[in-house]
Amino acid sequence: MAIDRFLEPKASSWMANEGENTDIAMSTRIRLARNLNEFKFPYAFTEDEALKVDKAISSVLLDKGKDLNQEFTHIDIHEVSSLHRELLVEKHLISPHLAAGVHSGSVLLSKNEELSIMINEEDHLRIQSLQSGFHLQEAYQIANQLDSLLEENLQYAFHEKFGYLTSCPTNTGTGMRASVMLHLPALTMSQQITRIIPAISRLGMVVRGIYGEGSEALGNVYQISNQLTLGKSEYEILQDLQNMTEQIIEQERRARQAILSNSPLKLEDRIYRSLGILTYSRLLTTEEAAKCLSDVRLGIDLELIENIDMSILNELMVFMQPAFLQHYSEKPLSPNERDIARAKLFRERLKEEYKINGDKEGEDSV
Amino acid sequence: MICNQCGERPASVLVKQKRNGQLTERHLCHVCAAENHNLNLAFEQDPLAIHQLLSNWFPVQSPSVNPVQKEVSVCPSCGFTFNNFLKLGKFGCATCYETFESNLEEIFKRLHNGNKEHSGKIPASYGSTLKIKKEIEELRKQLKVSIEEEEFEEAARLRDQVRELTKELEGSANHGD
Repeated sequence: MAIDRFLEPKASSWMANEGENTDIAMSTRIRLARNLNEFKFPYAFTEDEALKVDKAISSVLLDKGKDLNQEFTHIDIHEVSSLHRELLVEKHLISPHLAAGVHSGSVLLSKNEELSIMINEEDHLRIQSLQSGFHLQEAYQIANQLDSLLEENLQYAFHEKFGYLTSCPTNTGTGMRASVMLHLPALTMSQQITRIIPAISRLGMVVRGIYGEGSEALGNVYQISNQLTLGKSEYEILQDLQNMTEQIIEQERRARQAILSNSPLKLEDRIYRSLGILTYSRLLTTEEAAKCLSDVRLGIDLELIENIDMSILNELMVFMQPAFLQHYSEKPLSPNERDIARAKLFRERLKEEYKINGDKEGEDSV
Repeated sequence: MICNQCGERPASVLVKQKRNGQLTERHLCHVCAAENHNLNLAFEQDPLAIHQLLSNWFPVQSPSVNPVQKEVSVCPSCGFTFNNFLKLGKFGCATCYETFESNLEEIFKRLHNGNKEHSGKIPASYGSTLKIKKEIEELRKQLKVSIEEEEFEEAARLRDQVRELTKELEGSANHGD
């Protein structure tokens, strides 16, 4: 089946670890929301209209994708099992809203998984462009090219005053949500993050933990994104987000250096304990895995840990989630069984990693 | 109490869920509660429950006493009323924007830090004059930034672009006369 390639335990290119600032900025995403003028929006349209919208958008993409050197795979959401939908959600290729399958909807995925076009999510069209690291401009260029190609062939709902018309008034205007995922362990440990979050929200941007709305972020991973879509151009929004993200990265670097010089032994102990848990534990919950991954990631950034490649951690972050664990085990797992499977996944992946890169400490202790 | 889901760890969270009008209560341990709403909230989260905000700003009233418009405004295309929009926090179609336009300025100003008009990309198919005007505005902003950052080569390039577009705009206006 066409979907199979996207379910393999291979990392998507946005999980790679290349480019500037990848130690702190893990990935970048641009999302554009668009609707077609002649159809009612998804909250009001009929099933018949949903099918027509799907067909209109899909045929343009499958037909004209070549112009952008892209080949898209069309996946009808209703033809996919719920586990497979979950897998696509865990890989960030579709949203939970699309996975719920309220209407006829689809996703078109590019080969490298950098572009995902969702049809009949909250809007007729959601263009999503994913890049590893901190690449707002590149991610926008890719999304924008695709958007320009589509608008040549489809009539978008657009208003002279309000811009691109979307289902939700929080997206009206540019329809653009730009976000960067940031790993901020030092700002979290020093609790500076609790002061940064409210300050940023006054500037039309928002920082959230990757998990839940509160300040407690799972694995110290936060997402910063623009909240405004009206009144500022795409260029200004990206510029503001770029500047703010650079400032946060700078703050995080300073906080890391402060912790490293104030309590080096305590930090090193914490990092190696976490590496020990990931390498040897037999039961591993999501929270513990996320916390330890964060510590080990920090250890690699600070060059305390040298024999583990960062991209492995990015992959594990995705593959340790419930649907992926069940996909590998080829059966449904209870939460407790998942903790077992998760621990096994980490042990195996990290041991492979030591074999490839040579585990000097391991050899010493033999 | 032991967790209803794994049956192993002690329950620490009470999860109440309303589905199809039926309220279910489950006692979960912190592990199962976390698994239930997993990592994936990451990318597509509603930053704020929009319908809640809207109904705070515009208390939903019975249609007959709608203070803004004496009669109920119903979107002719999708049938949404303004109250539908407030309750759901979503528009039903493109025509809703025109139907409810008189109330939208207030909403957009609150949601978008005082802004009420779009100033970004315009679809190519949408009137070339408007497109050029907005493009010039946009280039001028970029020009300002590049001058501030002393990127003079870039500034010169942008300035030429603005000139060219202005000419084009005047050309099409004269042509229209």
